[in-house]
Amino acid sequence: MIGSKTSGLLLAAAALGAMALGAGNVSGQTRPGEKAPVAVPAGSIVGLRRLTEGEFRRSIADIFGPEIKISGRFEPEVRRDGLIAIGSGQAAISSSGMEQYYAIASGISEQVTSATGRKNYISCTPANPKASDDACASKVFSKYGRLLYRRPLTAPELAGLVTTARKATTQAKDFYVGLDETLTSMVASPYFLFRIERAAGVGANGQPTLDDYSRASRLSFMFWDAPPDEELLTAASKGELSTQAGLAKQVDRLAASPRLTDGVNAFFDDMLQMDLFKTQTKDATKYPKYSGVVAEESRQQTLKTITTLLLEKNGDYRDIFTTPDTFMTRTLAMVYKAPYTSNAAWAPYSFPSDSGRSGVLTQISFLSLFAHPAQSSPTKRGAALNEIFFCQPVPPPPADVDFSAVNGAGPDRQKTARLRLEQHRTNPSCAACHKIMDPLGLTLEKFDTLGQSRETEDGQPIDVSSDMAGTKFTGATGLGKVMHDAPQVPSCLVRNLYSTGVGRAPLSADYKVIDGLTKTFVDGNYRVPAFLKTMATSEAFFSAPPPPKPKAAAPAAPASTAQKETRQ
Amino acid sequence: MTTKFNRRSVLRGMVNGTAIGVSLPLLDMFLNGNADALATGAPLPTRFASFFWGLGLTPTRWEPKTAGKGYVTPPQLAFLEGKMKDRATVFEGFTVKLNGRPSHPHWTGMAAIMTGQCPNRVNQFDGMASFDTLISDVNGKGTRFRSVECTPFRSAVTSYSSRGQDSFGTSDDSPLQLYKRLFGEGFHDPNAADWKPDTRTMIKRSVLSSVKDQRDALMAQAGASDKARLDQYFTSVREVENKMAAELSRPAKCESCVVPTTPEERARKGDSETVLYNNEIMSKLTAMALACNQTRVINYQFTPATSELYLPGDSSVYHSHTHEEPVDGKVGYQPISSKLADISIEGFATFLKTMDSIKEGDGTLLDHSLVLGFSDTGWAKIHQVDNIPMMIVGGANGRHKGGQAVKVSAEPVTRVSLTIQQMMGLSVGSFGQGDMATSRPITEIMA
Repeated sequence: MIGSKTSGLLLAAAALGAMALGAGNVSGQTRPGEKAPVAVPAGSIVGLRRLTEGEFRRSIADIFGPEIKISGRFEPEVRRDGLIAIGSGQAAISSSGMEQYYAIASGISEQVTSATGRKNYISCTPANPKASDDACASKVFSKYGRLLYRRPLTAPELAGLVTTARKATTQAKDFYVGLDETLTSMVASPYFLFRIERAAGVGANGQPTLDDYSRASRLSFMFWDAPPDEELLTAASKGELSTQAGLAKQVDRLAASPRLTDGVNAFFDDMLQMDLFKTQTKDATKYPKYSGVVAEESRQQTLKTITTLLLEKNGDYRDIFTTPDTFMTRTLAMVYKAPYTSNAAWAPYSFPSDSGRSGVLTQISFLSLFAHPAQSSPTKRGAALNEIFFCQPVPPPPADVDFSAVNGAGPDRQKTARLRLEQHRTNPSCAACHKIMDPLGLTLEKFDTLGQSRETEDGQPIDVSSDMAGTKFTGATGLGKVMHDAPQVPSCLVRNLYSTGVGRAPLSADYKVIDGLTKTFVDGNYRVPAFLKTMATSEAFFSAPPPPKPKAAAPAAPASTAQKETRQ
Repeated sequence: MTTKFNRRSVLRGMVNGTAIGVSLPLLDMFLNGNADALATGAPLPTRFASFFWGLGLTPTRWEPKTAGKGYVTPPQLAFLEGKMKDRATVFEGFTVKLNGRPSHPHWTGMAAIMTGQCPNRVNQFDGMASFDTLISDVNGKGTRFRSVECTPFRSAVTSYSSRGQDSFGTSDDSPLQLYKRLFGEGFHDPNAADWKPDTRTMIKRSVLSSVKDQRDALMAQAGASDKARLDQYFTSVREVENKMAAELSRPAKCESCVVPTTPEERARKGDSETVLYNNEIMSKLTAMALACNQTRVINYQFTPATSELYLPGDSSVYHSHTHEEPVDGKVGYQPISSKLADISIEGFATFLKTMDSIKEGDGTLLDHSLVLGFSDTGWAKIHQVDNIPMMIVGGANGRHKGGQAVKVSAEPVTRVSLTIQQMMGLSVGSFGQGDMATSRPITEIMA
């Protein structure tokens, strides 16, 4: 359904164009011999996923309490094949990053072991606060070690921590210093900073299958964007997550919890590339309404729109492209020029049918993130639509292209984006990609770089009609319907949900699984909560790719996804 | 003059009205007879800095017209005029050989210079380390920071310094943040009289070393690619430990070190005034970090490659201008883009002048350093990776024969990278991959 097997109608031509340019099946990497069952010793590491900043923060809040302040700078997230969830499976930690993680860890353990903190977080008191107390230290490390490492500590691990604390206590003549420093080392440990996934053996599908604790983490991070809770860890300790009944019971519990909103929020925040808000700027002279508040609230607005539709109303995923329903704040209402009569921070709002707005694509978040600081960009928006919702990466622009022909010079400059982009078609190397991006992006041209409605650009009326592979549609509402009905859109969502769960880009063998899961999603009327349960109880969800056979020479990686900021 | 004087007693003497004819800040008693080493016998270390700015310079405005010595300084390099020019080499005509790899706009050029290879994918180095890490591995031992990455631009989250795994050093992006890291907790004034090791740091260090005990077990269970990432993690842990070790050693006296004052924090913006303001402060902080022996390698990113620097009041940013602004027929270039290039090079000039203002031994910090100034594109308007502006400035402790323009035709940029490594004292004979592999340093600039 996706990538080189794209068989959809609307974008068939577009996909062919992209493949001809070498984009092809960017996300499906084939490893030699991936179908053959491979013996993997139990306990082997089959996945190493760096915690994202969000996962780190939620872990600390869950384990110690939301009142613990986390101050410091995190390593930048790594986005690969469309998702940070995939990039985290490839990310390492630099030395300046480690310096920061260590400082953050120090700050956390200092709060936990401070005179006030210890009353809340430390359940035992040492016989002599100036001397070591192995029993108390052991109790503390055993409790927090299990939560931080997302599995129980082994006996030698626990003994090692107690010894470390004892030495530090002796040096400092203070029990809590020993506790503090040892706890810091645990928060800075690879067992906390990385989700380490281990194989239990080979599953029925011939692939390595995860052990119970690795399963617990996959489930809890997928559903709650959080580490496993007490009940999940207990189920793992009893081996229940390796039985269908035990697994189904936990999945039902996770899906029924209000915390599912956290998981779904985190997923869409990643998929919609909302991390770009961190570095977004808008020209203050032309767009004085833009502010950090607008950025944060428009991010929340889109997430609230999605989780309300998908979870609270158990709605059809495809309706995110057409729904008029959203939520508004006073600040956002000023940008949208919408009435705001509520006294609450957030109030439900429905765009009127003549507003020209249609679902999340016409909210400030999408419209402003994929635009220039001072002007809209049909190309950026078109590329983002392809990448985010069709899983169809667009190759980078060719080198040595003179944009003068496109942008025009001085008084000859064309006044609307459409007229400027028309000139791309004169250059075949540009046209191949721009005919994929521009027809989609041009339909959103009645929204400026901040997402505000407009009818003209530079005094000229804006034409938002579009024709893609013979399908004609007009404006954002036309685009919304096209997105709603495109068969690649639900299969792309499934690809992204699955990749987020397993923490890697799909290999070619995974596409069979994704096709099967897509059918389930379609047959289930595009309901996300039910789908998540099906996916999380499938064998594939707990499989790992077999280790690659040694190869003579590394093949060249496929052409890259485009570097977004370079597009015009 | 007797050796029982030190700088402080001399200063005190002067304050008390005792007339002693000594010029400050350098006192010969701290140096050996040739004034190229500390009196203790330890040579002044050669420091390395890379200074990157996005979007190249203006073709026709930065390229020297003639090669060798005595070239006329092009307008965009006017800052070299005077005493800087003799310690600078300007490179022209070097190129990036794609070897069939894609040319990722604003990524490939910088990656080729730093790693000697064109990565297949954007935002990755395909497993190759940037050469600043090779330098810091050799010359950074014993300092608190193996290298320091920073940017005066509003927010560039990543630097281009990487050991090759999917991790790039994080740039400090505010003067205050950088100050705290360099001169805040853990910093000891090398000239302070009252030094003693911090017990808590000693404890921290020994506890942290226990994290490394997890290494063997983890590595034994991991596959090749995870092993490489774990190895990077443990290397990073070791560097944090090294930082603590450096903090626990009594710092050698260092006359050129003057601890900076806490800078004022300004809003993080991309307008040229704010960036130049931050640049001035961060140039001082990084120069002093070198002078105070906190690090020996700086990776300074004036702006990201797709620079969104803008002139105050302008509604468009630098990157957009490079693509959209018409070439003015009268002058033959894009005027606003060129103005923004002037500002970028002004940032570089400030960085260099700040280093040159710090007296050290027989010269200045810049005399004992080698600074690479470079960008990502030749002509940004068309994402050209030919003739990317590159220059090196600094005496490199006598190893750099400056004052020249080196003009070649389509030779790989890696020749410059290799030359720098050799001048920095690395025993490396070749650098780069494929058509960019070279074993030919530019010997005419090596002393």
